[in-house]
Amino acid sequence: MTIDIDHDRDIDHDRTDAAAGTDRAEAPGAPSAGGAAVALRNVSVTFGRHQVVRDVTLDLAPKQVTALVGPSGCGKTTILRTINRLHDDTGGKVSGQVVVGDLDVYARDTRPELVRSRVGMVFQRPNPFPTMSIYDNVVAGLRLNGVRTKKVLREAAEAALHHAALWDLVKDRLHAPALRLSGGQQQRLCIARALAVEPEVLLMDEPCSALDPIATAKIEELITHLASEVTIGLVTHNMFQATRVSHVTAVFLLGEDRATGELVEVGPTTEIFEHPADPRTAAYVSGQVG
Amino acid sequence: MTTLLEEVPPPLAPVPGVAEALGRRRRRPGGRLYAALRWGGALVFGAVVVALVATLVSGSSQAFGHFGLSLLWSDHYSPAKDQYPTGVFIVGTLITTAVALVLAVVVGVATAAFLSELAPRVVAAPLSVAVDLIAAVPSIVVGLWGLLVLTPAFSHHVEPFLKTIPVLEWFFHGAALGPSMLLAGVVLAVMIVPTVVALSRSAMTAVAVADREAARALGATRWQVVRTAVIPGARTGIEASLTLAMGRAMGETIAVAMVIGNSYTVPHSLLAPGATLGSAIINNFGEAAPGLDRSSVVALVLVLVLITALVNVGGQLLLRARTRSARR
Amino acid sequence: MTVTAPPAPGAEEFTEPIGVRRRLVRQRARRSLVRRRLVSRGAVVVCALALAASLAPLVGLVAYTVGRGWHVLSGAFLTHEPTPPGVPGGGIANAIVGSVVLVALGAAMAVPVGVAAALFLLERRGRIAGALRFGADVLTGVPSIAIGIVAYGLLIAPGGLLSLGHYSGLSGSVALAVLMLPIVVRASESAMAAVPSELREAGLALGVRRSRVMRSVVLRSALPGLVTGNLLAVARAVGETAPLLFTAIGSQLFALNPLQPVAAMPLVIYNDGTQPFPAAQQIAWGTALVLLALVLVLSVAARAVAAFLNRRAR
Repeated sequence: MTIDIDHDRDIDHDRTDAAAGTDRAEAPGAPSAGGAAVALRNVSVTFGRHQVVRDVTLDLAPKQVTALVGPSGCGKTTILRTINRLHDDTGGKVSGQVVVGDLDVYARDTRPELVRSRVGMVFQRPNPFPTMSIYDNVVAGLRLNGVRTKKVLREAAEAALHHAALWDLVKDRLHAPALRLSGGQQQRLCIARALAVEPEVLLMDEPCSALDPIATAKIEELITHLASEVTIGLVTHNMFQATRVSHVTAVFLLGEDRATGELVEVGPTTEIFEHPADPRTAAYVSGQVG
Repeated sequence: MTTLLEEVPPPLAPVPGVAEALGRRRRRPGGRLYAALRWGGALVFGAVVVALVATLVSGSSQAFGHFGLSLLWSDHYSPAKDQYPTGVFIVGTLITTAVALVLAVVVGVATAAFLSELAPRVVAAPLSVAVDLIAAVPSIVVGLWGLLVLTPAFSHHVEPFLKTIPVLEWFFHGAALGPSMLLAGVVLAVMIVPTVVALSRSAMTAVAVADREAARALGATRWQVVRTAVIPGARTGIEASLTLAMGRAMGETIAVAMVIGNSYTVPHSLLAPGATLGSAIINNFGEAAPGLDRSSVVALVLVLVLITALVNVGGQLLLRARTRSARR
Repeated sequence: MTVTAPPAPGAEEFTEPIGVRRRLVRQRARRSLVRRRLVSRGAVVVCALALAASLAPLVGLVAYTVGRGWHVLSGAFLTHEPTPPGVPGGGIANAIVGSVVLVALGAAMAVPVGVAAALFLLERRGRIAGALRFGADVLTGVPSIAIGIVAYGLLIAPGGLLSLGHYSGLSGSVALAVLMLPIVVRASESAMAAVPSELREAGLALGVRRSRVMRSVVLRSALPGLVTGNLLAVARAVGETAPLLFTAIGSQLFALNPLQPVAAMPLVIYNDGTQPFPAAQQIAWGTALVLLALVLVLSVAARAVAAFLNRRAR
């Protein structure tokens, strides 16, 4: 039985905090994602003159895995990064609306740091902090967000490592350097690090592409288990991975101008792969395209 | 039998003349001149290094023979006995270098962080070039500026101000007469900051974007990214830059000689004049009488060379270790 | 294909769901954010101030040198010899020419030896090359005063190697050459090593003699880097004082004979700048301005020539 800490609790919280003068963007009356954990409405991303992805409207259903699939260059990763505002640093211009729970991500007074403490991310290549130990890596996010109590850190670290299926492996060497782990283990460490902050949404950008098949299988198993507790958005260029782990699939392809990516079709994974509605999806799924 | 080629190539046949020409070339004593050139360069280079060490050792042998190794920590200045307070000079070198390093670390690493992480990209490149330009200024010009501009400014304004700060009393007591250890340290700091900035900056920009993104994605502010991901990742490079900067500060003679005041007792405050190995050499070699006197000064040179060589080699090793671990 | 969720490894013992601490974390994140953002902004300001502190000396130095040296500069200053103290109207022409002569002689000695040694390092690995590289590293760090004193010991002091018995410009040039040598070796080696080995191997595979390959292929591609490196070494040598203090020692005369003492700009700055007389200090500032300008021109030229040669190579 999971504790459902969702929108309502947040709004109550925010009323009392609004009085204290913090983060006004979460006040009641702000856009709500409805039933979805994450809602994108007409989101487009432009770098300089080049529009990378256009007009994406997509929901990430709560406590499910939504896979974003498609050939490379169609904007899947770009869209994923709009959710945690990573484009602030890369110079991409984001238009449209992104709502996480009840938080309007791109509202003018929304602080990106707060968005990122609610939306975690795991990257393509495992990137544990190279100079830190395993333990320090796992609690890094908590420390960065102002959690200092040793007891809380220890408990959170243990829980996160359990959820990432890494605890038994590292429990006796928590203070060993993180880089001593293998590639697959490092990626699970990064997942633990993201989970320690207890995000509502976990974004995964091709997390297995740098790993061998056995490590990939382990992480896929981990994803299916995590999905029952965390909303997951997974970018993958591997269709079969999408069929193995996701509940919902969103297909991205290049538009007719062959320069801008767009969302072609989204639906339950089985439907997308067995009875796609859009002919372009059918072409992609059968391997004719991309 | 069809072919894709537009025309059929003729059967191979030797072209007259080529074989003879090639044979002629091969028969010439090939490459021996080139090898001699290379070896010549290497040998001359080696000879220079050897001559350097040999001259210093032989030049100082008389002094070491006469005074023994206690020369190294003596604080006794006796021109009549041709005895120089080498120990005082070594202490002076260490103090001025320490002052310079403290200033250069703080200013240099922060500047490198600004240029590498916090400044807008458009501005960062020209500003880096500007910082590097300081390294191109000849030390004599820095010394002149230090002597004629900084010395009055320090003794009239900066040093009296420093004396009013209660905590630093221990460092800054005594009369502020002009040339001082502090001034020498500041001048050295000005000269080594470019080294610290350039190497630290290169170490910082080498930190992978992935590590930065990891911190960012967890909710870190810009400074937190620098503190958690960039500076720890750049630590070896920063250490190497500090070691090399230290070597540079120890070896700098002219600019220090012009602002330090040439006093041969151990200074009791940073505001007092003092002497370093370099300044003592410059001030004494010209008038040193041949024989024991001159040999004592050459002993100072040998000590200085040994110390700076040790520090510099250490810095180079650190730099090589950093590039090796980065490749891994 | 439907998705099943098999029990996670070790899940039997651990049943805490994700989200137990979520509220606490959210609260801490929100409450600490104001402070964290403030610290971040403060850090940017502090580091910008550090940059200002790094650049301020350069600005101050250049400003003072230009400010105090400018009105000393005149046609006479640049073309006349110094006059006896107290007599106005002298110049530093001898020092300018002397500097050029000393550095030119030094470069004539250092560049061939340095490039040859770099070729050696390029062609061989092994212990000798390693020792050579180590020697170059050590030599880079040797204080220039030590080089000057060694040159004195070898070339001036009685009983030295090639002792002339008196101060001479040549000994100063030798000291400068030793100073430039490690810079030339390093810069040349890295310029030539940057040429992709495929070019070299292609030449060798055709049966061309090794020296020819080096000459036509490697040297030509590495030329911009070689020029830059050597010009920068020259720029460094022009500003050095300590190697000349006890060798070339300076002169009041327009002496071009390298076997006699020779004047040089850094020596003028040192000798005149340390005197308590304003007139002498003025000359020092003027000379410093000329020297600074020369070093600047050489540094800029180094990069400009390299860029030009790079473009021509394309």
